[in-house]
Amino acid sequence: MKLSKEEIKFIDNYLIKSEVKFWDVRLELLDHIVSSVEDKIENEGVSFNEALLETHRGFGNQFIEFGVPNKDFFGKGLYQSNIGFKKFIRKKQKEIGRKHRKNYRKTFLSFLTSSRFIVEFILLDITIYSIYQFNPKTAFVIVIIACVIPELSKIGFGAFEKANRKSLNMQMATATGSLFMSLNYFFIAGFGNYYEDVTPKPYFIAIIFYVVLFPFLRHSLNCYRTSLNENKKDYKLLTS
Amino acid sequence: MSNSKLYKGSLNTIILKLLNEHDKMYGYEITQKVKALTQGELNITEGALYPALHKLEAEGLLDVEVAKVDNRLRKYYKLTESGTKETVNKLEELAEYIKTMQTLMNPKLA
Repeated sequence: MKLSKEEIKFIDNYLIKSEVKFWDVRLELLDHIVSSVEDKIENEGVSFNEALLETHRGFGNQFIEFGVPNKDFFGKGLYQSNIGFKKFIRKKQKEIGRKHRKNYRKTFLSFLTSSRFIVEFILLDITIYSIYQFNPKTAFVIVIIACVIPELSKIGFGAFEKANRKSLNMQMATATGSLFMSLNYFFIAGFGNYYEDVTPKPYFIAIIFYVVLFPFLRHSLNCYRTSLNENKKDYKLLTS
Repeated sequence: MSNSKLYKGSLNTIILKLLNEHDKMYGYEITQKVKALTQGELNITEGALYPALHKLEAEGLLDVEVAKVDNRLRKYYKLTESGTKETVNKLEELAEYIKTMQTLMNPKLA
């Protein structure tokens, strides 16, 4: 027995109320729950509600959760017993993170040797070197901007994409380059403090650091865009 | 999952073996296939299946394909090239394990 569009919508809303807010997590859960409910109604002769309740338990959701105030328990009812879904999301988040990091490492070398990146990197180096001859501080500022641009671009690319909103995959894709971005901020702070009283500041040290850091941040943007394109395809299918 | 501790270590191998025999499968289909093959003896819970599938995907052993089926999206899992190779290794490992266990449990048969 196939569930109607309204019943599928009901299950989707039940997942949203159970705090499964990411659409890319919900799509997999929704298909599993709908398949399970259809199967139970057809083969076990149970009602829709009974089938849904049984499937709900199958995910490890419990009805009593310690630490939930009584008013929440009565207010949320079934939806507050979402410990199984919470675990599901946590474990998926961990694995998506691993997947992105693995993909980052796997594609890093081919990205470094791509003609587009080589041209981009040489142009940046020539610009920085030329400016450094006349004004080291300006060269320092430009190289910092070059390193910040990939992270800002992620925000720019993602801001207008509906596929990016409430997507666990995109949340983790954004976080992939965060380590290098943190290095960027730590270095600026450390450099400023360490050479606070030194005039003129040894900007070449900072410039070398940022030139080395740039490929890592630039590749992070590349991986983000690949993930965004894949997500857009799934989202288009979902909304079609 | 029944006898969970004994079966838990073999869950990845079970998934890989099933996907090796079928072109692609979705989560619920895997649970039902295992249930049918073992005549209800082994029941993989959702809480065990999906973390295993996501882990195998993160390791690059599985690939995902999304398709629209009956007003909803369905995620199909299929083996990658390295997944196919890993299946062979895992099955050999499991066969070796069963053989060792047989030797230990019933030395006369070994």
